[in-house]
Amino acid sequence: MAARRRHWRLYALGGGLGHLTRAAALARAAVARGHAVEVLTNSPFAPGLPLESWLGPGATVHRVDARLDKAATVAAVGAWLAGSTPDVLVVDTFPRGLAGELVALLPTVRAPRVLVHRDLNPVYVERFDVAHAVDAFDLLVVPGEDAPFAHHPRAVRTAPWLLLDADALVSREEARRQLGMEDGDARPVVAVMGCGRPEEVAEAGETADRLRVSLGERAAVGWLVPTAHASGQAVWPALAVMRGVDVLVGAGGYNTVQEARATGTPLVAWARPRLYDRQALRLREAERVGDAAQLEAKVALLLQEGTRARPAAWVNGVHAAVEAIERVARQAGA
Amino acid sequence: MSPSFASAEQCLETSGFLFSHPCERGASTQCARCQKPICALHMRVLDGAETVCVTCARAADNGDENRDGSDTSTDEDDPSYYYEDYGYYGRDAWRGSGSSASSSSGHDTNDFTEADGESVRREDDASFEEDLGGS
Repeated sequence: MAARRRHWRLYALGGGLGHLTRAAALARAAVARGHAVEVLTNSPFAPGLPLESWLGPGATVHRVDARLDKAATVAAVGAWLAGSTPDVLVVDTFPRGLAGELVALLPTVRAPRVLVHRDLNPVYVERFDVAHAVDAFDLLVVPGEDAPFAHHPRAVRTAPWLLLDADALVSREEARRQLGMEDGDARPVVAVMGCGRPEEVAEAGETADRLRVSLGERAAVGWLVPTAHASGQAVWPALAVMRGVDVLVGAGGYNTVQEARATGTPLVAWARPRLYDRQALRLREAERVGDAAQLEAKVALLLQEGTRARPAAWVNGVHAAVEAIERVARQAGA
Repeated sequence: MSPSFASAEQCLETSGFLFSHPCERGASTQCARCQKPICALHMRVLDGAETVCVTCARAADNGDENRDGSDTSTDEDDPSYYYEDYGYYGRDAWRGSGSSASSSSGHDTNDFTEADGESVRREDDASFEEDLGGS
């Protein structure tokens, strides 16, 4: 339990599920230490996720409609920040805000500011003077990957952040059951993650269909989606059932990659084009494919290699991040 | 200028990273270069004036029309270009993290491939701080 309950605000605007997932990991760990946490998200997946119950008492989630235009989104951020002053404000990824709105709004926040500092498109960094924006933060937390200002004097590096610690994952047997495998079915499970943009979620479904055809009876192929979508299997958080997945297929986003590596789940992924994130830099050569043929071949090869030892535990950097943020809040409130 | 386009035609640009297939959205305009009907998602604006399809935008952006494909000289189209000397974030810093590098000295030709260029949407999308779903 934290020495003193603090009021945290987490700004996690951004498309897809990645920003929200990282913020949820931090929020859950902070709530577990007794803090009250508000999360601001405009993830299109947020309305369908049981975030409040999953984060625990003390957490509040403000869902900004992902369809809002820039002006309306900026207004929503302004209204959110204009509420009661928190003990600490945490901003994920975008020191200027997703729409550049924090440049004007941050000076009005009378609380320590923490940036979750990650890689950003260098063109954006240079063109929008992100270096200047970074200096408005009291602490930069770098969650397991390098970043432009990772050597900033106020930066602290942690291990990658994960939604769950190892002991919160269900067993392999239970995970296979939750993934729809019947008792007695010994086939390995290939899970195709449907995340990101709507068309990418749908494309993951196509990928699963093709893998079912090419793999035949060699594997059971599932199309996992965070929220109900067509014939996809709604599983969230997917990390909870990762012990039941023998090969994970997805894109090179932060959470998919870090969850696969932490759990030792073989990953086959492609680098999706993103405005700010560079997925090709994150993926290792052994993980990355460039087209459908490579994807199918790599999945088949991994299945042929059979099961492998998986780590029983891992370091979840989110706990070190919470401690670092607590220190900043404590110093400011002393 | 974007040509006026009053049509119920389907966008003829293709979607799909792994499995390319025709976009199923309705076209809202027409590419000023190849005249292909395109939807808003597959529309790009060059130099703030010319409305083109993604294919033509890429060609124009890369200067690919007359480009020698064997030219491997460093340029801004290669994401690794930015890692050589950008701010705190040099190639050595990245390598030191143990995150993705497989080589310990010199330029690792395996670091980036042609496909990697697609991993970062082109800055000429002019979408920074405008496309709120593009992160």
